Amino acid sequence: MRSLTRGNVKTAIASVRSAKWRSLLTMMGIIIGIVSVVTVVSIGEGVKRQVVSQMNHLGKDLITVRPGQLVNRDEKGTITGVNLFSGYTTTGALSDKDVSSIQKTKGVKLAVPLSIVTGGIDVDGKTYNNASIIGTTPQLPEALKQKIAYGDFFNDSDENQNGAIIGKSVATGIFDDDIPLGRSFEFHGEEFIVRGVFEPFKNATLSLDTDFNNAIFIPYPVAQELTENKAAIYEVLAQPNDPDQANTVAAAIKDNVKSNHGNQEDFTVLKQGESLSVTSNILNLLTRLIGGIAAISLLVGGIGIMNVMLVSVTERMHEIGIRKAIGATSRQIRNQFLIEATVLSVAGGVIGVIISLVINVMLRIFTDIEPVISWQVVALAAGVSLVVGIIFGTAPALKAARKDPIEALRHE
Amino acid sequence: MSVIELQDVSKLYGFGDAANVALDEVSLSIEQGEFVAVMGPSGSGKSTLMNIIGLLDRPSHGSYNLNGRKVARLRPNQAAKYRRDTIGFIFQSFNLLPRLMALENVALPLAYKGVGLTRRTRLASDMLARVGLQHREYYYPWQLSGGQRQCVAIARALVNDPALIIADEPTGNLDSAGSRLVMELLSELHKSGHTILFVTHNPELTRYASRVVYMHDGTIIHDEKTKIGEVAQAVRRAMYNVSRTTVEDDLAGVSALMNAVPSHDNASTALASKPRKKTSKRRGKK
Ligand SMILES: Nc1ncnc2c1ncn2[C@@H]1O[C@H](COP(=O)(O)OP(=O)(O)O)[C@@H](O)[C@H]1O
Ligand SMILES: [Mg+2]
Repeated sequence: MRSLTRGNVKTAIASVRSAKWRSLLTMMGIIIGIVSVVTVVSIGEGVKRQVVSQMNHLGKDLITVRPGQLVNRDEKGTITGVNLFSGYTTTGALSDKDVSSIQKTKGVKLAVPLSIVTGGIDVDGKTYNNASIIGTTPQLPEALKQKIAYGDFFNDSDENQNGAIIGKSVATGIFDDDIPLGRSFEFHGEEFIVRGVFEPFKNATLSLDTDFNNAIFIPYPVAQELTENKAAIYEVLAQPNDPDQANTVAAAIKDNVKSNHGNQEDFTVLKQGESLSVTSNILNLLTRLIGGIAAISLLVGGIGIMNVMLVSVTERMHEIGIRKAIGATSRQIRNQFLIEATVLSVAGGVIGVIISLVINVMLRIFTDIEPVISWQVVALAAGVSLVVGIIFGTAPALKAARKDPIEALRHE
Repeated sequence: MSVIELQDVSKLYGFGDAANVALDEVSLSIEQGEFVAVMGPSGSGKSTLMNIIGLLDRPSHGSYNLNGRKVARLRPNQAAKYRRDTIGFIFQSFNLLPRLMALENVALPLAYKGVGLTRRTRLASDMLARVGLQHREYYYPWQLSGGQRQCVAIARALVNDPALIIADEPTGNLDSAGSRLVMELLSELHKSGHTILFVTHNPELTRYASRVVYMHDGTIIHDEKTKIGEVAQAVRRAMYNVSRTTVEDDLAGVSALMNAVPSHDNASTALASKPRKKTSKRRGKK
């Protein structure tokens, strides 16, 4: 019996190859479906790994306070959803008063504000708008556990001078120099000197964080002065004295800031561990969306296979008659066409996985995303295409199997 | 004991007034080892009879015993297995699978029986050698002549070692050389003990047969045992009505029979051994 199956597979492959274009077009739906599933799942997997590694780097105890209500929580404080859009539109803002409240909260070792200063910088007469200018305090490297590659960060004593520490992308992109120490740029009419370059940040794609590699850090008081205190604080980083107390400290910070805001919770306190859950919330939403598209595509692909198989059964009616006349049972004919449909859809699945691998490599080369194709997702693709082939191959196979041999032989 | 025993077998197509009687209460018994030629004009029900005997089709009425087993009401799957194991079918248009090589075509019935690849390749190869095509194993059907194709088809019919071989106009698409090749093969099989039924329009080919059956309008109108090597009596009589030079021509054979059978009905002692029944009787019964 096994040798018959092998013969059937061989016949099926021959028949798929004899009509290459038709087979390829038939497989299109399956291919698109499989490519979207595999790519989305692998991007999700890659992003999760990046977030996890960033989190491990920063430590689980880092607490982030942001304006706006970014997440919904249940009574126990577990995140139940992410407000992708409202998070940026609610008008809550963090003030200097909030920063000092956080700093004064019991158990907080340090609190670092990050404020965004708008405007471009001029280097040698050319204007650049693509870097973020962030005002911050001397404890930033400690809070982020990030080393300075060249030069040094500003400290408490020179906090009011126009010094800047830049990310790696700024060094290479704007100054065209790996170590542009001592170079100057003009910002809001004042001259700044580059005094340090950060080591490359491990940024997680799709996370809510700014790309620090593409940022210029200036002292917080200077930023406030430049903007006449209008620079918006978009994030305050806080670290507890005792990492095990992170939860209690986060709760205390929340209470303090809330009382500053007239008991309004128009801000968000996130522990580092939770940013993973925020990211996976976003990813799950995306996965569900693309998963729906993929499901429709697989359905259309399955119907395409069914259609082509029905045509094939009609075209090969005479062959079916011959096979029955020389002793093939209905079940053997059914299996032959079922195997053919399955070969079609599994071939579509294989092509889909190959295209996904190509897309994967492209994404790694041309973007920051590092998708991971796991064997589970490949197994999923194989399983799905197998199931689609069997489901949509059944009707044509039964049509072939039930045909009366004499009637089938009469077909030409 | 008869290998084939048909009792009042009828085959009707359509319903009611539009009913078309392809076979009208045919009774026929064929012994082990007989080599039967079936003749008759086009549309007389020869193929229908062959298909029913070969279990490709089921009779509307009547009983059919094959090797002592009642097979008229077999279900399709049982019929398929019985057909596979006991009957070899040979068709006018060869009916080889175009995408399979000669060897694979011959091996196919064995595959459906569940024989393993090595064994069925050897058996198929032996069978091809037996029909004289050992050098054409890896040829595709389109690379073979008509006669060779029919020999491959015969090898395929034989590969399961069936007791009964049914050939519906096996020489219909062949030239005289091809016809002779095929008939010699069938003749050899007959000598080795197979029971063979074949349909032909060519009176010359009745020389090979041990018995000739004539059909007309769905009934058997004449049934004659012949000496092998001689043309059947009734056919010889019919042949005098046509030019001798066209004996190889199928159409000539048909028209000769058309002339011979009804008009010589009363004159000939050999013909009309069985009185024809009125078909309207059956139709009345439904
Ligand atoms: N599927 C069918 N539907 C209707 N009539 C049929 C069918 N098959 C055969 N017939 C009729 O049955 C009769 C006998 O056909 P057939 O056995 O093929 O004749 P032969 O082989 O002697 O030429 C013919 O009149 C033919 O029209
Ligand atoms: Mg016929």
